[in-house]
Amino acid sequence: MKSKLRPGEIVAIATLALLAVAAIAPGLLSTLDPLGIDPGQAFRPPSAGHWFGTDESGRDIYTRVIHGARASLIIGVVATVIGIGLALLLGVAAGIGGRGTDFALTRVSEVLFALPGLLLALVFIAIAGPGIATSTIAVGLATAPGYARIIRSQVRAIRGAPYVEAAIVLGRAPGHRLTRTILPNAIAPVFVLATLGVGQAIVWASSLSYLGLGAVPPAAEWGAMLAAGRTYIGTAWWMTVFPGIAIVLAAGAATALGRSLQNRTRQVNR
Amino acid sequence: MTLSTTKLRSSTLSALALGAGIALMTAGCSAQTSGDGTSSAPTSDAGPVAGGTLVYASGDAEPTCLDPHVGGNYPQALISTQYLESLVSKNTAGEIIPWLATTWTEDADGLGWEFALRDDVTFTDGTPFDAAAVAANIAHLKDPNTASSTGYLAVGKVKEVVAVDDHTVRLELSTPDSALLDSLSQPWVAIESPTALKRSQEENCASPVGTGPFIVDTWVKQDKVALVQNKDYNSPPADAGHTGAALIDRIEWRFIPDSASRYAALQAGQVDVIDNAQPDTIAAAADKNGIAELNAPRPGAANRIELNSSKAPFDDVKVREAFIRAAIVNDGINSLFFGTAERSYSLLSSVEALGLSTPEYFDTDLAQANNLLDAAGWAEHDADGYRVKGGERLSLTFPVSTNQSIPAEQSLFQQIQATVKAAGFEVVLEPMDLSSWYGALAAHEYNLVSAPYTKVGPDVLRILYHSASITPAPSGYFANLAQVNDPEVDALLDEASQVTDPAKRAELYENAQRLVLSQFYVLPLYDQQNHYLHSTAVQGLRAMPTVSTPTFYDVWLDR
Repeated sequence: MKSKLRPGEIVAIATLALLAVAAIAPGLLSTLDPLGIDPGQAFRPPSAGHWFGTDESGRDIYTRVIHGARASLIIGVVATVIGIGLALLLGVAAGIGGRGTDFALTRVSEVLFALPGLLLALVFIAIAGPGIATSTIAVGLATAPGYARIIRSQVRAIRGAPYVEAAIVLGRAPGHRLTRTILPNAIAPVFVLATLGVGQAIVWASSLSYLGLGAVPPAAEWGAMLAAGRTYIGTAWWMTVFPGIAIVLAAGAATALGRSLQNRTRQVNR
Repeated sequence: MTLSTTKLRSSTLSALALGAGIALMTAGCSAQTSGDGTSSAPTSDAGPVAGGTLVYASGDAEPTCLDPHVGGNYPQALISTQYLESLVSKNTAGEIIPWLATTWTEDADGLGWEFALRDDVTFTDGTPFDAAAVAANIAHLKDPNTASSTGYLAVGKVKEVVAVDDHTVRLELSTPDSALLDSLSQPWVAIESPTALKRSQEENCASPVGTGPFIVDTWVKQDKVALVQNKDYNSPPADAGHTGAALIDRIEWRFIPDSASRYAALQAGQVDVIDNAQPDTIAAAADKNGIAELNAPRPGAANRIELNSSKAPFDDVKVREAFIRAAIVNDGINSLFFGTAERSYSLLSSVEALGLSTPEYFDTDLAQANNLLDAAGWAEHDADGYRVKGGERLSLTFPVSTNQSIPAEQSLFQQIQATVKAAGFEVVLEPMDLSSWYGALAAHEYNLVSAPYTKVGPDVLRILYHSASITPAPSGYFANLAQVNDPEVDALLDEASQVTDPAKRAELYENAQRLVLSQFYVLPLYDQQNHYLHSTAVQGLRAMPTVSTPTFYDVWLDR
């Protein structure tokens, strides 16, 4: 990590920092109420008073985009934590387990791979019912198989590494070997993956809300705002464009950051 | 690692592509107006030409059954108008006119009606239309296995059907029914082939057989219904524009639930007629060439929010009044409907002559709402600003059928949610599909609900507010969603449905309406909006004066 930050990375970090501020203290960026209606001000285009215009009920879209950051970031981060948590259990079990365990878990994750991730999330929501909590869990579940496969191969590769053999020769207990030798070495790439995963999870969570399966109206959530604005896309473009830009920025910044982390760790490893 | 990055990229890209696609679909069509209100203006000097396929795109839910006897909702009425016919119809002046029945007489005591039937009509499966067919249809409607709701209620007073001869039928009633002809004019009481009715319900739902100008050809579920011309057609209603077979060969009946896609498809010329046109698109279409509007408000009830009085908190009239006083409706209608809808203060549609409008019950007054809630014992507030009583929050469940409420209406509900919060009401909006919505109603999981109800004539009041309608019909649906259970209302509505003196009937209906309105069971919004947009190539389109469904019998294509 010795090289200097490139401009792209600075932009990505700045974007994520701004979103973090919006998520933690939206009041700093806008003092209006994201749910406050004003029918007399409905469908106003962007102006000095309403930077991003207003929606069909006269709510300020800028304020709603700012407040939407919290829902999107929380869903993105929590879903990724759920996905990676599950994947760690599965991946480590498959990685250090015997041939039978490995075979069984690998087949299970291959079956899950056969379904596109978003479809897996839809199936879960069909069973559990729509809502922010279920869509978060759904996205987490849907991303787990991908992470699990990578963790498994990391663990298996490290298991045969000379320093693990050294630990065995030194007489370390299996639990000690796992927590002190194998996991710390296997986990580093997972952090990189997680950063990439947050971007993906934000897009998926927005997609689910867009489909009416996540946040319920009139909640300020980017996907739900896109869905509401779509009806009026011919007459009020600002209702879809600004939440859309927010999704692209958030997902793009998380992905760009993840990619550069990936490159850097590769360089360090070499 | 590569795998997950690629996946991310493709999902980001598809989100972008989706947005761009929608933008392209809706932008850039340069057309100008001829939206002229009630009918399409001919733009060509050439006379009607026969032939061609018309594509209709419906925003209503796809029916689960094409036989409108089963259940009986508006999506079924829309499509069955093309292939089924009723005994009588209505003209634009509101008079009942002959259709499959040519003349009729009522007994002096009002307990019997005799209908002379056309003797030259055949169902499209070859079965002759006769008195036995009428008897079989009424029996079908009354059969619990049919699970009829709308049609079942329409013929509720018919006790017995007697075939006097092949083409004369007598309906014996249990009590006089001043609404009988209105009821029989509806598409939900249309006459189907008795031979076809003998098939299993599944078969009859897939391809009901009638006497209409079109025939159900194929039904590809989740996609379209194909209707073909009935070449031997000879039974148009008395007010039709021509005689003989229909002019177009084929109708493709598609389902496009998304309103923006539906309008985009019309602009792109992929479809010829769309229903459920949205206020903003109607306003936009007014500036476009090649697109015309047909505005046909539905008869029966106005669109309204009903307050479920059978359980807390709306079992208390003070809480009901508080909700209605706190809800700000007019600002939302003005901004969301672009001048296409007018606020209603009536239980009935503005096309119903006997509707009573009472703006005085619907003045908004937040202070009064607060006083009423204090008096009703909802005096404390919780941390979120909602009122509580005995540890229970003043929370109202509002299941919204996304198939039956247009986006502007759903936005209006959100605005009502926001405005009543000021009085301490929490409204939980639950958007859901039609079958989940029916499920929520059947389970009584609602405090607020908005359900359209279309019926010809003021007798719709009896269906919506008589205590008998608390008992579910065979379909499981109960129309008295406000759960009005008032013997005085029952008595007024019963009498009104029997008296033959028009002045007395009007007075009884007025009293009944005033009673329901003054008890705050209902928050009226506007007429049931029924706007169609169509290509100007579609000539001769009109809406049936019965329940405002479009008929394609007289339509020809000027392409």
